[in-house]
Amino acid sequence: MEGSEFDEVEFFRAVQKSGTRALLIGRRALVILGLPVLTADYDFWIHIDDAAAFNRAAGPFGLVPTRTPDEARRRGRYVLENLEKVDVLVARVVPTVDGVDVSFQDVWNRRRTLDLAPGVSVILPALDDLILTKKFGARPKDLEDIRLLQVLRSEEAKERGES
Amino acid sequence: MRANRSRPSPEVVAKVRTLSERQLSAGEVEAALRTPVGDWEREEILSLVAWFRRRYPTPADRLAYVRRAYRRWQGTLGFSK
Repeated sequence: MEGSEFDEVEFFRAVQKSGTRALLIGRRALVILGLPVLTADYDFWIHIDDAAAFNRAAGPFGLVPTRTPDEARRRGRYVLENLEKVDVLVARVVPTVDGVDVSFQDVWNRRRTLDLAPGVSVILPALDDLILTKKFGARPKDLEDIRLLQVLRSEEAKERGES
Repeated sequence: MRANRSRPSPEVVAKVRTLSERQLSAGEVEAALRTPVGDWEREEILSLVAWFRRRYPTPADRLAYVRRAYRRWQGTLGFSK
């Protein structure tokens, strides 16, 4: 087996089983949608009350939280790390660089669920929301990702007969 | 100290990281996104997506591919996890 022993599908299975309201954001969400971009880490946005459950799900994979759930809630983010690195946003609302307040609950309500393996699904924001999350960090690579997502969004709209 | 020509110096790595991780201003984001995606760029992206989805038909396949590709890329640069 190449590289670390981290079993990605089993990790997502554990997250699903934990009942954590966890949205996969960041470049791995793009990869799942069919955009071949490189990334080192996993990015999740979880419900503010679900950090402890998320940590318990990640524990068997050797992932150790850098903050307690209370500290994470206060700071709005933390990391789970070991051989893999998982960046976790844990905030009710996150502002974009251009001043739009994005609410976890709204994004969660519009989520899309995709099958990863039999019995394992992964939850992503809707495309419009994924684009908004790219404006949280607003790094140069986020802008590239937004352009990729815009193309995907217009293609999906075309398939639905909207344009 | 002898320079290692096969990989960038720590200073260069740090500088690139700073540039690539910096947060752009709202004005910079607006300006960058004001330029619409052109036909050529759109076709390139859709062709890439079509290839990736055909070659790696399931989300799990795609995630696994990216893990392999990232490790290869690190290996090429002489980095290891």
